[in-house]
Amino acid sequence: MDNNEIWVYVELSGSRIEPTSLQLITKAKAIADGRPVVAVIPEATTVQAETIVSQYGPDKIEILVDDRFAEATDEEVSDALFQVMDKQRPNTLLFPATILGRSIAPRLQAKLQTGLTGDCLDIYFKDTLLVQVKPTYGDNIMCDIVCPDRRPQMATVRPNTFRAVQDSSATTKIEKPIFEFHKEEAASILSTKPIINSSANISDAKTVIALGRGAYSEKNVKLANQLAAKLGGMVGVSRPLTDKPEFGHDDQIGQSGNTIAPDLLINLGISGAVQYAVGIKNAKKVVSVNTDKDAPIFAQSDFAYVGDATEFLTAMLGQVR
Amino acid sequence: MKIVVGIKQVPQADSVKIDPQTNNLIRSGIQGVINPFDKNAIEAALRLRAQAGGEVILLSMGPDSYVTSLRDGLAMDADQAVLVSSRALGGADTLATGYTLAKAIEAIGDVDLVLLGRQSVDADTGQVGPIVAAYLGLPQVTFAESISLESANTIIAKRQLDTVIQDIKVTTPAVITVRSELNRPRYETPVNIKQSFDKAVTVWSETDLNLDPEQIGQAGSPTKVTSVYAPEKKGRQTTTLPTDPTQAVVELLNKLN
Ligand SMILES: Cc1cc2nc3c(=O)[nH]c(=O)nc-3n(C[C@H](O)[C@H](O)[C@H](O)COP(=O)(O)OP(=O)(O)OC[C@H]3O[C@@H](n4cnc5c(N)ncnc54)[C@H](O)[C@@H]3O)c2cc1C
Ligand SMILES: Nc1ncnc2c1ncn2[C@@H]1O[C@H](COP(=O)(O)O)[C@@H](O)[C@H]1O
Repeated sequence: MDNNEIWVYVELSGSRIEPTSLQLITKAKAIADGRPVVAVIPEATTVQAETIVSQYGPDKIEILVDDRFAEATDEEVSDALFQVMDKQRPNTLLFPATILGRSIAPRLQAKLQTGLTGDCLDIYFKDTLLVQVKPTYGDNIMCDIVCPDRRPQMATVRPNTFRAVQDSSATTKIEKPIFEFHKEEAASILSTKPIINSSANISDAKTVIALGRGAYSEKNVKLANQLAAKLGGMVGVSRPLTDKPEFGHDDQIGQSGNTIAPDLLINLGISGAVQYAVGIKNAKKVVSVNTDKDAPIFAQSDFAYVGDATEFLTAMLGQVR
Repeated sequence: MKIVVGIKQVPQADSVKIDPQTNNLIRSGIQGVINPFDKNAIEAALRLRAQAGGEVILLSMGPDSYVTSLRDGLAMDADQAVLVSSRALGGADTLATGYTLAKAIEAIGDVDLVLLGRQSVDADTGQVGPIVAAYLGLPQVTFAESISLESANTIIAKRQLDTVIQDIKVTTPAVITVRSELNRPRYETPVNIKQSFDKAVTVWSETDLNLDPEQIGQAGSPTKVTSVYAPEKKGRQTTTLPTDPTQAVVELLNKLN
C-alpha cells in the first residue's frame, strides 16, 4: 500500500534552507531501519538546494523545479507535492512544524486523504506504524498518535527538537519527478520582505541571555545586551517582557514563542513556568539566576545562582573578556 | 459580505490535568470557553462587516454544550450561529472535522469569507483551517496578522514566517486563519448579551447535511490516539554557585570551559 520510503519536505525561504528540514533528514535516517530516506525540494532554478541537502545523506532527493516556487502559495506547493506523492504514496512524510510547514501539510493531507499529527516532539517506528508524540493543552499533556490504515503517515515536527548531522558516507540519487505547476488564480504573494531587526533568529543563537519579569529594568536590558555582545549571543525574553518597548514576539522563548537550542543559556529573573521551560529543553548548558531559591527554573538548570540579576550581570561583565 | 467564523469550545486554559493513576484527562467541572484565537477571528469578521456590510455567522461542530460558546460569540455581536451536532460526529480528528465544517459552509451557501483561529489551544494542531480550504477548493492565508479589504472581492493579508513577512492577496471566497496579534477582541456589552438570546442558533445533524458516513466521526478519522500521559520532567543535575557574585561567576566560567 506504500513504497516504504520516509519523505522529508525541504522548506526554503529564498535560498535559505529551513534547518528543521535537515534535522528531520538526520532523524529519519536514525529511525529508518532500512527504509529509504527521501528529501523532496520544490525550488526555483537558481536555488539548487540539493547540493547542501545531499551533505546530510538522504538516499534520494526529488527536486521539483519551477521558478514560480520562489513565491508560491500554499495551494501551489501542496498541489505540486500531491501530484508527486499521490502516485508514489510514501510510507511516511515529515514536515517542519514551521508556519509554512503547518500551512502546507494539512492542505496536502486533505488532498491525500490521510492523517496528520501536528507539532510532534518525537517520532519512532513501532513495527510498521510511526508513533507520533504530540503535546496538547499547551504542552501539559502528551499523546501518542498513529495512523493505522492510510498512507503516507504525516507529521509536522517542532523545530530544534533534533540535531542535524552531516553524513558523507551515503550516496544520494537525484531525481526529477514529472509534475505540472498549476498557477492558483485566486491567490498571489505580492511581496516577501525580510523581517526587520531580526536578521539573526534567536532559535539559531549559540548563546542566549534570557530576561524575565524579575530582571526587567532599563539597566539590566543594557547589561544583558552588553554581555550578549561579548559572548557573541542574543538576548531573549519570557512572555511578560514582550509587552515592553525593547522587545517583541520574535524575542520570546517558550511554547508560544521560539524553541531554542543554544550551547549556553543564562536565565535571569525567570520563574520557569512550563510554557517557558518547554522552549529551553534543548539548551546544552543552562545557568539560572533568581532571588527565590525555590524557583522552579532551578530544576531545569545545570547551574543555579540564588541572588540578584543585576549583581550577577555586573560580575559576568567584569570577568568575561 | 457573508462571513462564516469557525469556533471551537475549549477547556479554560491551564486547568486540564492528567490523573496519574489512570492516565485519563481530568476534565470534569472545567468550564468551556471560546478558543481564544477564534475570538480574534470573530472580531476580524465584525470589523469587516462594519466596513463592507453583510453578516457574520458562527459555525461550530461539537456537542450541545458548545451552544454556550456560540451564545458568547453572538453576544460579541455576530448575527447568527450554526451548530453541527450529533453522536455520529464524535471522535472526529482534524480531517473529519474539516470535512464536516466544509459541508456546513457549503450548506450555508454563498459564503465570501471563512475565518478561523490559527489553532485551538486544546488540540494545538492548526490543521482545520487549511483542510477546510482544501475541501472547498479556496485560497488560504494562514496565521494572518493583518487583514485589509482592498475591494469588494479582494483582501490583502500579512503573514509572518520565520525570517520574512508576506503580503498575500486573495480573491474571495477565501479562507483565512488568524493570530492573536490581529486585533483585540471586544467585550460583550449588556445590550448585546440581551439581544444574543433572540438570535437564531440552528442545529444541523449529519442527515441534514447529507454527510458521507465514511468521512465523519471516528470512521472518517485516519489518526488514532493510542495513549495519553503527563510529560516526563527531564530534570538536570543542578550545581549551586556561591553567593558572592564574583566568586559565582569565576566558578561558573571555570566549569563551563
Ligand atoms: C497558553 C500559554 C502560553 C504561554 N507561552 C509562554 C511562552 O511561550 N513563553 C513564556 O515565557 N511564557 C509563556 N506563558 C506564560 C507563562 O505561564 C509564565 O507566566 C511566564 O513564563 C512567566 O514569566 P517570568 O518567569 O518572566 O515571570 P514571573 O513568573 O513573574 O517570574 C519572575 C521571577 O523573577 C524572580 N526575581 C524577582 N526579582 C529578581 C531579581 N532582582 N533578580 C533575579 N530574579 C528575580 C522571581 O523570584 C521570579 O521567579 C504562556 C502561558 C499560557 C497560558
Ligand atoms: N469543532 C470545531 N468547530 C468549529 N470550528 C473548529 C472546530 N475545530 C477547529 N475549528 C476551527 O479551526 C481552528 C483550528 O483548530 P485546530 O486545527 O483544532 O487547531 C480553530 O481555531 C477553529 O476556528
